Amino acid sequence: MTKPIIEVKNLAKHFGDNQVLKDITEQVNPGQVIVVIGPSGGGKSTFLRCLNLLEHPSSGEVDFAGEDLTTLDDKRVNELREQMGMVFQGFNLFPNMTVLENIKLAPMKVKHVDDATATKQAHELLKQVNLDDHADAFPTSLSGGQAQRVAIARALAMDPKVMLFDEPTSALDPEMVGEVLNVMQELAKQGMTMVVVTHEMGFAKSVADRVWFMADGYIQENNTPDEFFSNPQTDRAKDFLSKILM
Amino acid sequence: MKKRLVLFLALMLTLVTGVSALTTTTASAASDNSLAKVQKKGTLVMGTSPDYPPYEFQATVHGKTKIVGMDVAVGQKIAKDLGVKLVVKSMSFDSLLVALQTGKVDMVISGMNPTPARRKNVDFTHTYYQGGYSIVINKSDKGIYKDKDSFVGKTIGAQTGSTMYNESKKQTSGTTVKGMTSVSDLILALQSHKIQGVAMEKPSAQAYVANNKELAAIPSHFDLSASDTSASAAFAKGSTSLVKAANKSVDQIKKQDLVNKDYLPAAGKYLKTNTVNTSMLHYWKAFLTGVEYTLIITVCSVFFGFILGVLLSLARMARGGVFKTALRWLATAYVEFIRGTPMMVQVMFVYFGLGLIVNLPALTSGIIAISLNSGAYIAEYIRGGINSVDDGQTEAARSLGMSSGATMRYVVLPQALKNIWPSLGNEFITLIKDSSIVSIIGVSELIFQSNIVRSDTYRGVAPIAVIMVIYFVLTFTASRLLNYFERRMQHD
Repeated sequence: MTKPIIEVKNLAKHFGDNQVLKDITEQVNPGQVIVVIGPSGGGKSTFLRCLNLLEHPSSGEVDFAGEDLTTLDDKRVNELREQMGMVFQGFNLFPNMTVLENIKLAPMKVKHVDDATATKQAHELLKQVNLDDHADAFPTSLSGGQAQRVAIARALAMDPKVMLFDEPTSALDPEMVGEVLNVMQELAKQGMTMVVVTHEMGFAKSVADRVWFMADGYIQENNTPDEFFSNPQTDRAKDFLSKILM
Repeated sequence: MKKRLVLFLALMLTLVTGVSALTTTTASAASDNSLAKVQKKGTLVMGTSPDYPPYEFQATVHGKTKIVGMDVAVGQKIAKDLGVKLVVKSMSFDSLLVALQTGKVDMVISGMNPTPARRKNVDFTHTYYQGGYSIVINKSDKGIYKDKDSFVGKTIGAQTGSTMYNESKKQTSGTTVKGMTSVSDLILALQSHKIQGVAMEKPSAQAYVANNKELAAIPSHFDLSASDTSASAAFAKGSTSLVKAANKSVDQIKKQDLVNKDYLPAAGKYLKTNTVNTSMLHYWKAFLTGVEYTLIITVCSVFFGFILGVLLSLARMARGGVFKTALRWLATAYVEFIRGTPMMVQVMFVYFGLGLIVNLPALTSGIIAISLNSGAYIAEYIRGGINSVDDGQTEAARSLGMSSGATMRYVVLPQALKNIWPSLGNEFITLIKDSSIVSIIGVSELIFQSNIVRSDTYRGVAPIAVIMVIYFVLTFTASRLLNYFERRMQHD
């Protein structure tokens, strides 16, 4: 049995009186693709953001590679964050830099990679997401699908052990969803550990190793996609699936 | 006499002396060695306000501007008798006594009369010159006005707060007395018939009449005490030995009537060379110096102000422990205080107040004061700019493992800067104009230079028009440049 790369213990998070996450205990093993689904407002994004401490949990533990992030100092948290790439719903590319500069920034400023090496690596990553011809473009000239693929390349440039996706296709026009999901699927095939918050049920069915169904601040079900979609256990999941499946 | 102790100056003095009661007391207690001190350093620094011919004014000698006049001759005589070199430092009249008290200058000779109020703060020598008052009128009115009593129902002008001003009010009836800050403005008002006469000292009146064919002088017939019309050199309070030594020179000057025999005729010659060519082109060097200093002050202040602004804005956004909270409070208090006090007061405070601790040159003081001022405003722009950058940018950078410092430096600040560029540009252009405030501490920037050209040439409007054009060229060029860089930053 391999050691889990992410282990969450009794995680809770509240904003003021609003209890968003209530006592979550789960783990992610290396190479696993976890898809987190559930109704809006169920705490999916907050949960994902707790994994790399963009949100600080109110209580509980978030262990990454055996270290509890909630107890570490800023410097160590930064070092561990390098190993967790994150892709956002709104891309969050740096608008004042070209595509290439977006990708090179963190390797050069955090890992102190020299310019030539960083440039070479950035071009390789852009080829991987089929956007090398846009290396010198600025983010605003890209379509949503292109921007999200650049964002994925930017996260991969830090050579992460885990990739976190926060509704990566929700802000995209329907015809662009496919190109982003293809890149993610490709990544999963290469063995990347991924935690994906999404509403793309097709992606969950075909790519996920486990589906975590999250509602009301709890992970209500943790199952294989086949089991979850064909035989949901909780009423909450049944209700959810009946609303989204045609 | 010339000008006056304005209430403002008095306040400033009280403040400065109050702030440093201890320093001042020790200074005056130890000032018995004032003579020895001057002789040891080998120079006697004389403060004067060179906008008052023939007492003191700027003249172009062999292509170089220097301060000349009968007061400078008196200063030279005193320095020579002490066996030291005279250094003349120019500044506005209001600042002279403060400069003396704070040790910026050793001596003030600027047509200053030893009023009891002034005697409280400084020591005066014996009188070296006894003048009188005249009234300058338009030559065309020569038959109408005879003396101060001819102006019933008319208006007489005089320098605001001066003895002339006070006496004109007291000793005339039915006459309106109009006050203005500079004699050249008064002459201008006279020539445009806004006022009918200008009360001023006899030598000045003679100088104006000699250099302007449209003017004539009439006796004033003011009833005056001797101390109202006399001029003395001022030294710091308590410098008895220095005053005693200077008095020897002053007594000689009086005895040999050097002022009337030598000094005034010599000053008159400078006045003539000065007014041979009163075209503005002739003074291009003076204006160039003005532009140079205006730009030095502006560029340096924007530079240091920006750095200070970044630090202040970061401090204002600090959240966390006791230390960070204290930092935030301090920065907020600083910004509020600076924005709530006039820049002019800040400039004077840095020059005179800080001058008690470290002796800073006027230019440096000006740059420091304006940087400190500008930093507070820039801090607010930057804070707004940082808040305008989407949180997602910070999150993206932090998720890549960048520290909060690196995120701020490489991701947030560049974007914030782009967002606030137009505001920063405005601040820069405002500073080009506001840098004129340092003219009060004698930095030879554009306004200061233009005032000197005005009093040198007896032309009131032309120098103003010239600097107006120069200011516009400067600000317009600056705004074009800023626009260019703004376009270069547009990627979205």
